[in-house]
Amino acid sequence: MLRKLMKHEFRATGRIMLPLYLILIVTSFGANLTTRGLLSTEYRILDVLGVLLVMAFAIAIVAVCVMSMVVMVQRFYKNLLQDEGYVMMTLPVSVHQQIWSKLIVSAVWFAATVLMIILACCIVAFNVEFVDEFFHFIGDIFRGIMREDAYFIANGTAFAVEGIVLCFLGSCAMCLQFYAALAVGHSSANHKMVWSVGMFFLFQFVIQFLGSMLVILADGTGLDVFLTNFLPQFNGVAAMHAVLIFCIVLTVIYGAIFYAVTTFFLKKRLNLE
Amino acid sequence: MSILECKDLCKNYGRVPALDQVSFTVEPGRIVGLLGPNGSGKTTLIKLANGLLTPSSGEILVCGMAPGKESHACVSYLPERTAIPTWMSARQLLDFYEDFYADFRRDAAEEMLAHLNIQAGQRIKQMSKGTREKVQLIMVMSRAAKLYLLDEPIGGVDPATRDYILSTIIGNYNPEAAVVISTHLISDVEKVLDEVIFINQGRMVLQSSVDQIREEKGMSVDELFREVFRC
Repeated sequence: MLRKLMKHEFRATGRIMLPLYLILIVTSFGANLTTRGLLSTEYRILDVLGVLLVMAFAIAIVAVCVMSMVVMVQRFYKNLLQDEGYVMMTLPVSVHQQIWSKLIVSAVWFAATVLMIILACCIVAFNVEFVDEFFHFIGDIFRGIMREDAYFIANGTAFAVEGIVLCFLGSCAMCLQFYAALAVGHSSANHKMVWSVGMFFLFQFVIQFLGSMLVILADGTGLDVFLTNFLPQFNGVAAMHAVLIFCIVLTVIYGAIFYAVTTFFLKKRLNLE
Repeated sequence: MSILECKDLCKNYGRVPALDQVSFTVEPGRIVGLLGPNGSGKTTLIKLANGLLTPSSGEILVCGMAPGKESHACVSYLPERTAIPTWMSARQLLDFYEDFYADFRRDAAEEMLAHLNIQAGQRIKQMSKGTREKVQLIMVMSRAAKLYLLDEPIGGVDPATRDYILSTIIGNYNPEAAVVISTHLISDVEKVLDEVIFINQGRMVLQSSVDQIREEKGMSVDELFREVFRC
């Protein structure tokens, strides 16, 4: 059933995201003309056109980023908590499957958005001398490292994996914070959206407060002394791995709390209009 | 086994009771009218049976189960408002119902859509309000469910559409199943009902067969309703 939910979720979101990606790619071809020298001609109209093409590209990037967030929030809100909720919440699927389908599809669109922006930037920079040189330079560095030592290759790969995992989990946790705020806010009888926005900021405040308390506690309990004595045993690379893994664990805890809140409110406190 | 069973069911919204100690059963093969004035608790009861609300106390069982993922598979629910995703085309909606409900009869749904001259490629949002309600009803009645919960199926539509909706319900429900129709438009549905449940201010006032009302009280359900709920 999760697969079927995801299929329909992709169908619902793809009709918005795919045309946006197409616009992004089209504008990137336009911006590529600018980078190839549209601005250095003697014709004023081409100068104006060049500026407009770059502006269109910049707006397309912003639109794609903003819309991937908007779609993530809007789908949860409209599909589960508005009128469509009467159909969705009476399907023979569990609340967990409902949340996971939304979460996975949102994370996929976030990842696709990043990839499409990278692709668009590559299109803009295609065959531009300066950018070519920059990538050759980066390539040289990597080739140099790989020639030097397998240690760097292994650690570089591990950093990349840890970074990607952290980004993926971070985007899921962020979605869950929105979902939890909407689920809690919409359990109220009136002013559901006002409550939802209020809950989002309350969650944000609580997270920041707990983060600050953690630092203060670390200072007060001697944890800082322990870490100061313990960390020098690590070299720089190991310490970096430790920090990334610590961040991953924190993100999982942060996401799990909001997942539990969302599930509880959808199961026990659902209050459709 | 009863298809729908309520035992001392209570639901409070804050301190306001919406349902108070409601107990009844609905048996297979019966068409039951859940009748009561506006705000009497009909929609709350149907939402509880669909797991859209949680009881404050008491118990509600659908096909012998507490409302949830498993009970949803045997219930076909028509909400009081148009809830089908309006961005979908009629064909996508058929795909949607076919994917999630093993008992969905696509051929029956397609036949009814064709009868109404609704193009499969037409988007729901391009349809009139009345047509959307008909499409939603077609999806609900195209399932071979064990229990149909129809919340105000004829509210807010013209008399011709009312007749279409009632004939669709009668012509398409699974005879082994029970149908619960919530409404306050008694005279329109009376002819199709086997049984009635009167509900007022969250409390059950009466559960009786329509024949029994006619024989014992010598009046129609509509007349009895007007007498019981006289303001």
